[in-house]
Amino acid sequence: MTSEPPTEPALKKPFEGIRVADFAWVGVGPLVSKYLADHGAEVIRIESATYPETLRRVGPFVNDTPHIDGSGYFANFNSSKLGISVNFKHPRGPELVRRLIAHCDVVTESYTPGTMARFGFDYETLRGIRPDIIMISMPLYGQTGPWAHYAGYGHVLQAAAGFNHFTGWEDGPPLGTGVAYTDFLVPHFAAIALIAALDYRRRTGQGQYIDFSQFEAAIHGLWTAILDWTVNGHEQTRLGNHDLEAAPHNAYRCRDGRWVVIACETEKHWEGLKAALGRPEWCDMERMRRRWQRINEQKEIDRHLSFWFEDFTRLPTESALQVEEGVEGPPVRKYTTEEVVQLFQSFGVPCGIVQSPEEMHADPQLAHRHHYWKLEHPVMGLRTYDSPAFKLSKTPAELTRPAPLLGEHNEYVFREIVGLSEDEYVDLLAEGVFE
Amino acid sequence: MNPERPPVPLPHPAGPLAGYRVLDLADEKGQLGTRLLAELGADVIKIEPPRDGDPARQHAPFYRNETGAETSLYWWVMNAGKRSVTLQLKLEAGRELFHRLVAISDIVVETSMPGESAALGLDYETVARVNPAAILVSITGFGQDGPYARWHATDIVGAAMGGLMYLNGDPERGPVRTTVPQAYTQVNVQAMVGALTALYARAVNGGIGQHVDVSMQEAVANAMDNAQQTWDIRRVNASGPGLYRNTAGIRSARYLFETADGWVAALQAGGLIGLQANAIIDWLAEHGEARGLDAPEWRQKLTSLQPLSPEEREYVEETMAAFCRTRQKEELVAEAQRRGAGWAPVFSPREIVESKQLAARDYWVRVHHEDLGESFTYPGAPFRLAATPWMQRGRAPHIGEHNEEIYCGLLGLQPQDLRRLRLRMVI
Repeated sequence: MTSEPPTEPALKKPFEGIRVADFAWVGVGPLVSKYLADHGAEVIRIESATYPETLRRVGPFVNDTPHIDGSGYFANFNSSKLGISVNFKHPRGPELVRRLIAHCDVVTESYTPGTMARFGFDYETLRGIRPDIIMISMPLYGQTGPWAHYAGYGHVLQAAAGFNHFTGWEDGPPLGTGVAYTDFLVPHFAAIALIAALDYRRRTGQGQYIDFSQFEAAIHGLWTAILDWTVNGHEQTRLGNHDLEAAPHNAYRCRDGRWVVIACETEKHWEGLKAALGRPEWCDMERMRRRWQRINEQKEIDRHLSFWFEDFTRLPTESALQVEEGVEGPPVRKYTTEEVVQLFQSFGVPCGIVQSPEEMHADPQLAHRHHYWKLEHPVMGLRTYDSPAFKLSKTPAELTRPAPLLGEHNEYVFREIVGLSEDEYVDLLAEGVFE
Repeated sequence: MNPERPPVPLPHPAGPLAGYRVLDLADEKGQLGTRLLAELGADVIKIEPPRDGDPARQHAPFYRNETGAETSLYWWVMNAGKRSVTLQLKLEAGRELFHRLVAISDIVVETSMPGESAALGLDYETVARVNPAAILVSITGFGQDGPYARWHATDIVGAAMGGLMYLNGDPERGPVRTTVPQAYTQVNVQAMVGALTALYARAVNGGIGQHVDVSMQEAVANAMDNAQQTWDIRRVNASGPGLYRNTAGIRSARYLFETADGWVAALQAGGLIGLQANAIIDWLAEHGEARGLDAPEWRQKLTSLQPLSPEEREYVEETMAAFCRTRQKEELVAEAQRRGAGWAPVFSPREIVESKQLAARDYWVRVHHEDLGESFTYPGAPFRLAATPWMQRGRAPHIGEHNEEIYCGLLGLQPQDLRRLRLRMVI
């Protein structure tokens, strides 16, 4: 263990020494503080057993048995964090939390507007305790306006923010995206604002308040749809798997039931696809020559490609060279789903498999990048956690611990950070403050 | 020069990132992200190939459908607030000039295929030699190395290989991509979290720069909701639920309902199933449309959290569907919210622009295009920082609009140097 040669002093983790009081819950807030925690900040989840965090009550659970410390949903968003539990309604609860905040640099929260103020955790009060504090509030619709108090989750916010309108087939209803989409889009915006504010504080000593509306951030994910309306008076809509600017652009079903996507955005992509297919007659027709023509002809292109996938893909158990019944000539080369993608990629065609969660877990690229971390959790056992999509070459992310149990770090936080004596701590514990 | 012409971009010294300089050589995977840095005060310089400019200028749709290098709405929206210079990195003289810019910059964002950056002088080794404090952000489909590193990836490939598309779609028609590109959106914003984390790390570590290697596939993987853990723990693959919803791999109650004027999103059959169901049952009953759900046995069943039989659930969903079909979505949402149920309307772009909530918060920004003599409405602040506000900094730049300002003003070249570089197609 000690035989390694002396090295340069280790670099500090990016947010080492930053302490975060994290009141945020469900998806958006915990994903913001996860960035800080996985890069060295001491993030303390402030929860209460009297009103448990929603995600602790939602599965997946091991053996499908609900357990307050057993939700994989909660766990994945809360790696590397500490957890305390405080009863805000106990007369001593809010005061103890404010004493903790005096030792914190950042406060994050995502309650309905007004909730923090009710317990005396509003920015003005907290600034009195800690003048350079940075506080970010991240409810659905912001602190003001007629919808400020509207309830909801990412599943419905994505509808208000336009993502359902843009999901589904042209001749069909607006679909959900299958996930609570905005919960996984807006945390990155909030993290950008928060880290920028941290850097500003580092340079000037000044903290500040950030009013973050999930709705207002999400709209920036609509690409050109807003301007097409405000500038041209044109409303874009969902196009199935087609695209405004590319053709072919779709998902095609292989013999094994899996789907492969193909996107030809450029002439180079199209030429590559033609070569990969062995230049069948249909794709050299005059009306397929230009990109805009191909967009007009994309239904026909889709039909040809669907036939190709039916004819030229195979199950892994089937032989690669097959003699067609009733057809003369040499046997035909058939491809597994993986081989199709390898083939098209080798001709420079953007394509890929529509990967299931199971396939993601087995994906060699994600394994190479060490995207998934395995952490041993006292209730859930060895579980898989996601890590950032970016790898910093010198100060990389490190998932230092699994998600905290409810109230796991009460003693450490209130004794070591807040500075309660053992007697005080035990008395308060007996009084039910840490529930 | 017309003295009334507003500068492009507008200065933003009060932004939290004021004083930092960013070189933007990114395609669709990075332009939104660098724009956010400009709106936070950084000086973002877009580097475009000479003559035709950045290929992204060719992206539809166009202002009044007129194609041209300055009329792409994609260009407008993704590059507002940046400065533009032209520079040919395929020429030695171009790379030399580029490295002089790198020497005075903090962040460089590029999206070239792994292995192709060295020929352009964009690889980390070269960047670090020129400026050890520089942060190089490389955004690619799959990351800098690994078995898929050299694969070609567009948005739909990211959506597919990143696991999101499998979760999105319909049991009958298969997987679907959200038409507005979300793999690109995800990697843009996640890459900027990485860039700013590296910027912070630089300050606490005596000024060291580093390489930030970003994968679109991983950015999408992080948007899989709880599907990753659902496989990990339950060995179940969640998949596209259509108008329904996935909860940990189980298709749960319908959540999208058609109204007289569109659609609403309303979890748990609009709240008819769940602990608070009575408030919604009462609402339907007040209009005589509860179809018997207000009977005590149904109320008990709907609020008990016990699973319903498929027939029962369908009956409940149909009751809600019939109730919504004859009513206006915004009225429905307002009343549901009053009764404590978290509904939202399914909005189109027009409806988002007309939203009362956004109007009350003064969200939209008017951006003046003095070259067209018109102003247009753009999305406003994605975050409101009280002390160091976000700011929209005016229209996107024309091709090479800031060549003189940057090459002469910043690098100290003489006007005749610029002429020479232009003749040699370097700029």
